[in-house]
Amino acid sequence: MIDLSAVHIDYQTVLPELVVTGTIVVVLLLDLVVPPDRRRWLAVVSVVGLAIALIASIPLWGQHRSAFADTMAGDSFAAFFNVLLLAVTILTVLISPRYLRCVHLDFGEYYALVLSAAAGMMLLAAATSLMTIFLGIELLSLALYVLCSFSRLQEHSQESGLKYLLLGGFATGFLLYGMALIYGATGSTTLLGIRAFVTSSPGTNVLLLLGIGFLSVGLAFKASAAPFHMWTPDVYEGAPTIVTTFMSVATKAAAFAAVGRIFVATLPSLEAQWYVPLALIAVLSMSIGNVVAITQSNLKRLLAYSGIAHAGFIFLGILPGTTDGLAASLFYIAAYAAMNFGAFAVVTALDAKGEHADELTYWTGLFYRRPFLATTMTIFMLSLAGIPPTVGFFAKLFVFQALVTAHLWIPLIVGILTTVISLYYYLRVIVVMVTVPEGAPVEREGVGLPMTVVVGLSALGTTVTGLVPQVFGWALQATRF
Amino acid sequence: MSWYQLPATVPWLTIAVLLPLAGALLVLLAPSAARSAIKQLGVLTTVFTLVLVGLLLGGFQQGTAGLQFDEHHSWITNLGISYHLGVDGLSLFLLGLNALLFLLALAVTDPKMPRFKEFVLLMLVLEAATTGVLVALDLILFYVFWEATLVPLYLLIGAWGEGRRIYAAFKFLIYTVLASFFMLVAILALAALNANQTGTLTFDWSTLVQHPVTGSVDVLGIRVGIQVLLFLGFAVAFAVKMPLFPVHTWLPAAYTASPVPTLLIFAGLISKLGAYGFLRFNLSLFPDGTRSAGPYLAGLAVTGILYGALMALVQSDLKRLVAYASMSHLGFIGLGIFTQNLLGVEGALIQMINHGVIIAALFLTVAMIERRAGTRDRTQLRGLEQRAPLFAALFLVVSLAALGLPGLNGFVGEFLIMLGAWSRFLPLAVGAGLGVILAAWYVLRMYQGAFQEAPSQPTAFAEARWTEAGVLAPLLALMVVLGVSPAFFPAAVQATVQAVVSR
Repeated sequence: MIDLSAVHIDYQTVLPELVVTGTIVVVLLLDLVVPPDRRRWLAVVSVVGLAIALIASIPLWGQHRSAFADTMAGDSFAAFFNVLLLAVTILTVLISPRYLRCVHLDFGEYYALVLSAAAGMMLLAAATSLMTIFLGIELLSLALYVLCSFSRLQEHSQESGLKYLLLGGFATGFLLYGMALIYGATGSTTLLGIRAFVTSSPGTNVLLLLGIGFLSVGLAFKASAAPFHMWTPDVYEGAPTIVTTFMSVATKAAAFAAVGRIFVATLPSLEAQWYVPLALIAVLSMSIGNVVAITQSNLKRLLAYSGIAHAGFIFLGILPGTTDGLAASLFYIAAYAAMNFGAFAVVTALDAKGEHADELTYWTGLFYRRPFLATTMTIFMLSLAGIPPTVGFFAKLFVFQALVTAHLWIPLIVGILTTVISLYYYLRVIVVMVTVPEGAPVEREGVGLPMTVVVGLSALGTTVTGLVPQVFGWALQATRF
Repeated sequence: MSWYQLPATVPWLTIAVLLPLAGALLVLLAPSAARSAIKQLGVLTTVFTLVLVGLLLGGFQQGTAGLQFDEHHSWITNLGISYHLGVDGLSLFLLGLNALLFLLALAVTDPKMPRFKEFVLLMLVLEAATTGVLVALDLILFYVFWEATLVPLYLLIGAWGEGRRIYAAFKFLIYTVLASFFMLVAILALAALNANQTGTLTFDWSTLVQHPVTGSVDVLGIRVGIQVLLFLGFAVAFAVKMPLFPVHTWLPAAYTASPVPTLLIFAGLISKLGAYGFLRFNLSLFPDGTRSAGPYLAGLAVTGILYGALMALVQSDLKRLVAYASMSHLGFIGLGIFTQNLLGVEGALIQMINHGVIIAALFLTVAMIERRAGTRDRTQLRGLEQRAPLFAALFLVVSLAALGLPGLNGFVGEFLIMLGAWSRFLPLAVGAGLGVILAAWYVLRMYQGAFQEAPSQPTAFAEARWTEAGVLAPLLALMVVLGVSPAFFPAAVQATVQAVVSR
């Protein structure tokens, strides 16, 4: 029998997660009574719940809470990720009803699953113990496995879900095994305990290093970093586009929250040991992602490879093992969230209407059919390519700055060279959109108010976030653990 | 000394950057079908910008080396990045050239072209970016403007160009972006080194100039001065943009593919931004690095003079001929910069303005010939002088300025550069002199062939119209004024140049 009386129960720390979990229950129950043609009310309820959770996250800013026997943290880092993840989830839910109706997938479970994934991601961002990290990862993964195969009659979608499930299960095995080894080496499952062990007994501990290695495999899989990226293009392509939009941004952010807590907050003293494998992951991700993306003719696959490359760039900020470097990564994650969400949202908007809208050929002359979507897509592509004055440039600038300060020249050079390569495929999308289509009738149609607002907000975030100086300050403060 | 005093509280330079953007916003709101309204909007915006820059030219305190119209605000304080704008002798006249060329470019833009609205929009955005490049004095801010010029240029060539436009646009972009990243690394490294020395992280140009970095590092076993390494990082970016031999290979493709209004900016202005970068950053921040590496770049510049001239000799396409001639003349500017003495650098600054004026006029006249004759093949054109004497006269003045005839502006800059080079690199000065002779050869042959030789059969060739002469008039006037009384120009810039070369 475990004595729970010593466990510090702190509801404020988990309030955002509690609100989201409560909303899941409400949505599931409401689904039983709401008639099918009123399902958009489920979206409304979800957005309200998520918004309350977002507001509940803000008081955590600037605090240093540790609750439930050091397994959960209520700090600026958690607040930063909560706000980011909840914002992404709210935007996703906002554009969901119209898309789901168009592709005949308007089921109430969808909202419950998205909320579960969000809860898992938030849990992961706040987790400070191997157990809670595992819980968070499993919660978000299980929800995403189902969401990927949500389109029950589409073979593609089934394939996507099954692939994600099988490979994800494999990666979870690695993750668990690594956790077991770390526990065996340090005798603790909390990050605080592991940190205390590492600082008190320096020297090479093979068991611990092996454990860290396995753990990195599991996390790199979730962040879709090379060489554990193989699932990404297939899963992104097959899953319903709205799910891809959500997972491409949110999952990566959550995975990097865990990476930051483990490597920078817990194991900075072992930087010399984990530098080489992590640098390898970063360099491989940037190279493979950016080079293979050149050959893609499907926009979802192209963005999948671009996402792999960006995972590499985010890893660059982790490499110095300093909180300043981590702050650069945090800024990058926020920037990536704005621009990549926007890009996928544009794909979603087109996908709701046309057949094969994710093929690049469909985008020929988009400027003349959908000027708003094409213009915003141009902004997202320029930002993903890192061209000033978009936020993508500043994200790369801060990460490069961290590398220069730490004298890590080789990852820096690879980062720069692959950035140049990436220009080719990002700009190709723009060129395709401005190419005049041959003899096609010019049809202009709307995409609905929610989509216009969401895409507009993403574009605004992509253009002004870099110019607002406070944002990087927030990222810096979020990493003061 | 200045002609009048401008109120210091007005953020003049911010207005100069924002004015074209405001025009772009208005164009964005206009309906695509209102072509003439859009044209008027575009031209008016550039006129206002030119008037504003003219005001600044008059209000500029001559004889002082420091920055004027200074605007300094904190921006990303955690990383020492600030919003710092300012003008000194290096950028003053280039701002004027910038505003003038954009006005001419929009004046010659044909409203009947496809997607006219988007074209004007991009040109105005480009003007904002190039203005920003010339006035930005924080290294990161400069980099932001520097890169921001690329996207409009890329789209202008890629979407409105001719021939292999997509290929040319990509080639230009990949070259310049790759080179720019070297500069970005050098900027970051410079700031980090400076922070080690002084204890504060800053990207502010005027602070960095006061604390030149010192020391050396081992690169692959060879001891290299840090200044030399940083110099090279910046030099790659500026050499590609200018372009210097041997990183010029994007130039013929990009110039040939560009639509005429973009070409005016491209050849007249964008190349100067590279030269300006050399003066503003390489010479000012790394004087020791320049002394070590500069002679090699001067050698490359003279190679470029001769290579460009020889290539111009064998071209029959007038557009390509002028493109190579432009490259040859840019070599003079490079040579002048790396003499690192007063005469050479001043000559380079003057030649930057001259080159912008002359090349713009040459490309404009070539475009006029092409529109009339339907070809720009030099060997197909005969006896145009008899058909269009006024046009021939205009073309002759431009050609003579290009080959450096005394009395016209081309002579002044080249002469000063040769004088400067003579005292530092004698063999290179001789090589550059050879380039002048070659220039006379290809320019006069072009004029004689196309205009003077008797035609085998009579061809229709219309006389210059008033609008065309009007567009050329300010450029021709500048050629004569700068050529006859070049003295006012050094007076305004001498103090700044003196400060640069005496570092």
